[in-house]
Amino acid sequence: MTEPTHAPLHTVARGRARWHRIIVRPVLQRRARVAPAAQAIAFLIGIVLALIAGAMLLWGSGNDPAMVYQRMAESSLGGFDALSRTLLRATPLAIAGLAVAVAGSMGLWNIGAEGQMMAGATVAAGFAMVAGDLPGPVLIMLMLVAGAVGGVVLVVGPALARAYLGVSEIITTLMLVEVAIRIVEWLKVGPWKDPESFGFAQISPLPDQASLPGLFGQVHIGVLFAAALLLAFWLAVSRTAWGYELRMAGSSPATARYAGISLQRKVLTALLLSGGLAGLAGAIELTGTATRLEPGLSSGYGFAGIIVAALALMRPSGVAVVAFVFGAVLRGGQSIQTLGVTSSIATILQAMILIGALVAAVLLNYRVRWVRPVGHPSEKAAPPARPARGGAPPSEGSSHPEASGV
Amino acid sequence: MSEDAVIGLLVATVQFATLVYLAGLGELIAERSGVLNLGVEGMMAMGAVTGFMAAIATGRPWIGFAVAALVGMATAGVHALVSVIMGAGQVVSGLAITIGGLGFAAFIGQDAVRERADAVFTDQSIVGLSDIPWAGPILFDQPPVVYLAGILGIAAWFVLTRTRLGLALRAVGESASTTDSVGHSVTMLRSSAVLIGGAFAGAAGAFLSLYMAAGWTEGLIAGRGWIAVALVIFGAWRPGRLAAGSLLFGFTLALQPRVQTFDLSIFGLEVNTISPALLGILPFLLTVVVLIAISFRARHRPSPAPAALTLPYRREER
Repeated sequence: MTEPTHAPLHTVARGRARWHRIIVRPVLQRRARVAPAAQAIAFLIGIVLALIAGAMLLWGSGNDPAMVYQRMAESSLGGFDALSRTLLRATPLAIAGLAVAVAGSMGLWNIGAEGQMMAGATVAAGFAMVAGDLPGPVLIMLMLVAGAVGGVVLVVGPALARAYLGVSEIITTLMLVEVAIRIVEWLKVGPWKDPESFGFAQISPLPDQASLPGLFGQVHIGVLFAAALLLAFWLAVSRTAWGYELRMAGSSPATARYAGISLQRKVLTALLLSGGLAGLAGAIELTGTATRLEPGLSSGYGFAGIIVAALALMRPSGVAVVAFVFGAVLRGGQSIQTLGVTSSIATILQAMILIGALVAAVLLNYRVRWVRPVGHPSEKAAPPARPARGGAPPSEGSSHPEASGV
Repeated sequence: MSEDAVIGLLVATVQFATLVYLAGLGELIAERSGVLNLGVEGMMAMGAVTGFMAAIATGRPWIGFAVAALVGMATAGVHALVSVIMGAGQVVSGLAITIGGLGFAAFIGQDAVRERADAVFTDQSIVGLSDIPWAGPILFDQPPVVYLAGILGIAAWFVLTRTRLGLALRAVGESASTTDSVGHSVTMLRSSAVLIGGAFAGAAGAFLSLYMAAGWTEGLIAGRGWIAVALVIFGAWRPGRLAAGSLLFGFTLALQPRVQTFDLSIFGLEVNTISPALLGILPFLLTVVVLIAISFRARHRPSPAPAALTLPYRREER
């Protein structure tokens, strides 16, 4: 704090609320052992809670929740074509989620995946403009490389600032999302405006051969890229010294430094890799589903990728599962528009799954314990609350004013 | 360039500044207590749509404004529950508020899109002051929300820097365990700060739907919530600097739709060739520059950022 303080801090407490002392209140206490499947259960609880809340919302707006949910399930999971449409949406979600998870596995938040996707798609589209007469496979491979480069370009500033100056990557990456989207808007009305679209501003279409080959149904081969990247990330993080060092640098920076690991280099590689993957996701989305670059191309996949990675606890297997579920939710949300229900129900469900799962994860990893009130510090101390079982740290009784800070 | 055009630009600057100042002030209060809330965009959307609907239903813009503040507060309550009371990650929780809030607002606002806006705020000129050349029309012939934002700014500055409550609030943003050990409830202080922040964001959303746009559409907020988040950093977490920053950001926002009509040349640069989209980048780039400058300066003097920002607190685990 830089402002002058007017009273010593210890005199501030006089006006403290008295209700605090009479009510038996809940305290969260970390469980000694956490069930390995706790996060999976939390995710399921999140889904159930989201579906219940969504049903109330649908019912309240005069729709039949059962019918809407049935349509969502059928159109996203019921049959070959439906599954292929789900996978089509799960592909960018998985790669964006993976991008966030790479940074997240060492405790960094790449909040700018959305912007890096746009940057990747932009550089890929720009490459296709200058090298549009290359044969299809070569052009696509180079566009994907260009996409990764675009993502790296957008994240290199935040990565350097974080590694060498300690600037929080959360805000810097977030700010650059808006920058990337506005650059595409500028390209649309300015330098990249399609000369053949007279009044209507749009960017020139991609060359015909610059579209990813289809695999089956609606799915393009991007889904194979996603699977390969998830596998590679799993191998790298859990089976190599590099991955071990990455995780150690995140969970215990001091230990990592003693072990001779350069934290700065680890921060740099994790963020650059993260940005590159997000850029690749943008290029795959461009070549896989779009005919031209648009400011709305990424359509929230980058932000959803953060939720995917958070729900997956930054683990590749989890990213695959959550991305599939979110892909199904997105496809289902799109399909119910024919029933006259807005597709925004899909984004509501995604956010509610996350919130439900966050709360459920806390409750599963912690034990709720009801504690009796203790005396005010200025009075004679009341008997301390019942000591915790299993050697857990004491709770209420230890919070005496004399206890030192962190 | 005519005098009317300049005054029009400055009038719009004050209005855009009010919009981002209201939301930014709420975010500042939350961040000073140690809670980063990335849900401003979602809270503004919720406030905008519910305020608009309430104003149409009752015919009174102030009721819409109050409803928007309450709804913004309720939306922020989810963030307070998840990130303060449960102690889960502030970053993901805030993003969920933004994503969910935008979706929720789009869902409940489906029918409001076609509504006509009659019950909106109108300009209130202040007798005596509004006749002053230049300053009159720019500062004293504005909708009442502009004056309210000024009052709220002074009130927030006073409470934060001149009262015990403000001292406790800033203390909990620097070190929750220290504040806890002197007998303040960390949960109470932080939750209240987040709720107040939500009310401010909701009110800002209502200013957008009840005056500036005078209507509701999906995508109405259009990144203004992120500008508010940026503004708090640009203003170095101080209400006064926040006001100065909001005028600068408000100027770039007001300039965007007008810049191509200005027949003016500065240092040989034709102003009307500047792209509005590129102008929109400026607040975000400036914020990144300020963040980096702060960290350079932090080698010599303490950083203005609250030390406990984004750190959850559980008494049992300190």
